[in-house]
Amino acid sequence: MALLRPIFNADMFYQNNVRGSIRVNYAAARHRFMIMAATVASNPGPVPVPVQDPNSVSITAATDTAGGASQQDAHGSEDAGPKVPPQHQRVKLSDFALVRTLGTGTFARVCLVRPAVGSDENKEQVFALKILRKTEVIKLKQIDHVRDERRILSDVAGHPFITRLITTFSDYDSLYMLLDYIPGGELFSYLRRHRRFPEEWAQFYAAEIVLVLEFLHEQQGGVAYRDLKPENLLLDGQGHVKLVDFGFAKRLGSKGDRPVETYTLCGTPEYLAPEVIQNKGHTTAVDWWALGILIYEFLTGYPPFWHQNPIEIYKQIIEKPVLFPQEPPISPNAQHIIRSFCTVDRSRRLGNISGGSQQVKSHPFFHGIDWQALYRRQIRPPIQPNVRHPADAQCFDVYPEDDGKRDPYTESMNSTLLERDGQSILQKTTTVIEGHCVEDMVFSRFSGLDYDGHT
Amino acid sequence: MFSPNTYQKEIENLDSLIRLKKPIDILQFCADHFHRRLAEERIAYRISQALQSHSQLAMTGTTFTSPFAANSNPFGSDGAKLQTQTGQLLNVVEEDETDAVTSPTTGSFGNGIFRGPFGGGDASLDGPPSSVRTPPNPDSYPAQYNFGRRTSVSAESLKPVADVNDNWSPPSYPKSAEQLERLQKAIEGNFLFSHLDDEQTAQILGALQEKPIPAKDIKVVTQGDAGDYFYVVEKGSFDVYVNESGALQPGPGGLGAKVGSVQAGGSFGELALMYNAPRAATVVSAESACTLWALDRVTFRRILMESTFARRRLYEKFLEEVPLLSSLTPYERSKIADALETQKYPAGTAIIKQGDIGQSFYLVESGEADAFKDGQTESVKHYQKGDFFGELALLNDAPRAASVVSASEIKVATLGKSAFARLLGPVEGIMRRTRYVGVVSGVEDMDPLHAS
Repeated sequence: MALLRPIFNADMFYQNNVRGSIRVNYAAARHRFMIMAATVASNPGPVPVPVQDPNSVSITAATDTAGGASQQDAHGSEDAGPKVPPQHQRVKLSDFALVRTLGTGTFARVCLVRPAVGSDENKEQVFALKILRKTEVIKLKQIDHVRDERRILSDVAGHPFITRLITTFSDYDSLYMLLDYIPGGELFSYLRRHRRFPEEWAQFYAAEIVLVLEFLHEQQGGVAYRDLKPENLLLDGQGHVKLVDFGFAKRLGSKGDRPVETYTLCGTPEYLAPEVIQNKGHTTAVDWWALGILIYEFLTGYPPFWHQNPIEIYKQIIEKPVLFPQEPPISPNAQHIIRSFCTVDRSRRLGNISGGSQQVKSHPFFHGIDWQALYRRQIRPPIQPNVRHPADAQCFDVYPEDDGKRDPYTESMNSTLLERDGQSILQKTTTVIEGHCVEDMVFSRFSGLDYDGHT
Repeated sequence: MFSPNTYQKEIENLDSLIRLKKPIDILQFCADHFHRRLAEERIAYRISQALQSHSQLAMTGTTFTSPFAANSNPFGSDGAKLQTQTGQLLNVVEEDETDAVTSPTTGSFGNGIFRGPFGGGDASLDGPPSSVRTPPNPDSYPAQYNFGRRTSVSAESLKPVADVNDNWSPPSYPKSAEQLERLQKAIEGNFLFSHLDDEQTAQILGALQEKPIPAKDIKVVTQGDAGDYFYVVEKGSFDVYVNESGALQPGPGGLGAKVGSVQAGGSFGELALMYNAPRAATVVSAESACTLWALDRVTFRRILMESTFARRRLYEKFLEEVPLLSSLTPYERSKIADALETQKYPAGTAIIKQGDIGQSFYLVESGEADAFKDGQTESVKHYQKGDFFGELALLNDAPRAASVVSASEIKVATLGKSAFARLLGPVEGIMRRTRYVGVVSGVEDMDPLHAS
């Protein structure tokens, strides 16, 4: 979960793209909230105090700048009036209590949360809540990515190896994505701890990822994920892969019925495909390149192209072949599949060539994989995360909690958000003199920043 | 020296772990545990030694060897990746997590994760750079690899003009032929420009904007600031400073150490053409009356995008016209368009020769060509923009039935048989999809080059 990127604009999301499955899932979650609310209403005992790290600022208090209400107040008012019929009740931040931060990024933070009110049993239910600051999203010009993330995550819900989006909502200065909590932690952590993986492990994780890519590219009609790396792969309680952070995922556009390549440079330096660096227009083929880098990193503990200076990484990616170290020895099959993925010429790149993912699956590196059983999660994962209970977060690294400091999101930003198309603002930014803050202009770019929490 | 207390502590620690984990293979578990403890202890020791010697060295004025490789270009976003050794030591001390991984093969490594204070996804775009982690085993790991979480990067999202009904055209600033030549030379070796075609290069050169720097000591870029521009030095020279804190600091010495200078013909800030990363150095004019050429990222990326986009659409349109490929889905055509390579020939070049085994087919992007048979001077077919020839090479190995000679300077997009087959499988299979009647004769009609 390295860079936790943005999401938002619930309006568009719900109008266009929410699938039945999400509605159903969300309905279930909402039902739980209603039960909790009802419990509290009928039993006016002590209001449960939200779980809170004494050193941290509560997420409600931190974001509720408009009302200045404390988290307690927010709960109080909610408890007083759970009269809204369930289908109209919106999820809001004060429905949750922060347990701890699971990861942080430039403009997002993912927190483990639990229902703020309700019985102990209800409180056992935990979620991952991704919180995006509107100000940062706008500043970093990530609006399109944020919108795509939500839309695509809702489209792909239900795949066994992709994180599930439950709902999204927003408030004055933030956008929220409520996600399933995946307790096993980042594959990144396990990889660094083990230094490198034996080939059978690499084969297992790579195989589950192949199923994800096959699904995104071929069954979802051309969704490029664009940020494959160990940091974005979590392990669930059983040790199966969950792909998270769809902040750069992109449904390839189409002109008529023709798919159109995409041009925005994004990803992680070590994992960028050459065509992305050279701005040649890229497609789902970038994910196969990244899978080659990933398998290499699984087997050696580091990626094939790296340098302190990103520019040097990019030069290597474009100019150098993948070389393998003497130690540890990498099997010929593994070397072959890595080189086949990391092929600059896209007409030769495995996964992108005739046969697509079928060709990948029949590569000797994956010999012995029962792909059906794998999809049904019947293959035993090599690592069993040590998860003691569903809300256990010990597999995640510890992050400092939110200090609440941030640039305020102001009405002036909101009111000038009427210019929807990105081009005008991009042109304006070109006139900005080096080093000057471009905020004024950037803020004028958006409308509809409200991520209204209805479903 | 022997310390019963230490022993007791280790045993208790192990005992509680075993009760907690209830491992099946007790011996393996104990072996792993102590192996890990040993590694942790040794690393902590090594680091504390390094710290001591570091401070001693600093006191005696001996140069401390940088943990970083010599870095030729200060404009990566890495200039500030330094983290104090103290930070690492603290991290190691924190490092006593039990091994959450219960694997029979965990074995000999597993020093635990080294957590940096910035251990999470750091802000690449404006935040502090990732921490540098000590590799778990320096002996067999790349010495300077940063084992921290890697931050994602992203440029502004761009959409081609055709998609947004905008009338964008690249800015163009007049330049003398000499200036253009100098600029061309300054960027030609750069990997961000070296793959561009002539039109793209011309547009890029045109878009470079002159920026006079009248006085000495003007900061052109400031370490830690957002980077939007790439610069080529036309005249004068510039000094490059790196402050180890990662950003320019106020006060004297805030620039940091001078790490180099850039002279006329040199360039700096190329990373800004990819995405907005914080500047890794401060660049200051070293004399008065300097001149720079500046190019911003959005203009650069748009020029490349627009031309690539237009060419891709052109290819796809051409491909639709090729009867042999009429059964391709738009997706497949797009893949072929992806793999097409542009080639240019001067007038009078024999692009294909009668009797040769055909390997590639050609689409005429611009210019004209003629087909000649059997050495006759009379052209049997004339080709111009949008026409294609040699597509039968995709189908079989028959010799070319005619020669094709460029009538003017010509630009063609070409694709080899093998590339086609790799992408879509054999053409025969593609053709079998359609309910053509008389496929073979149909194909023969399409191409006068086919030997009859």
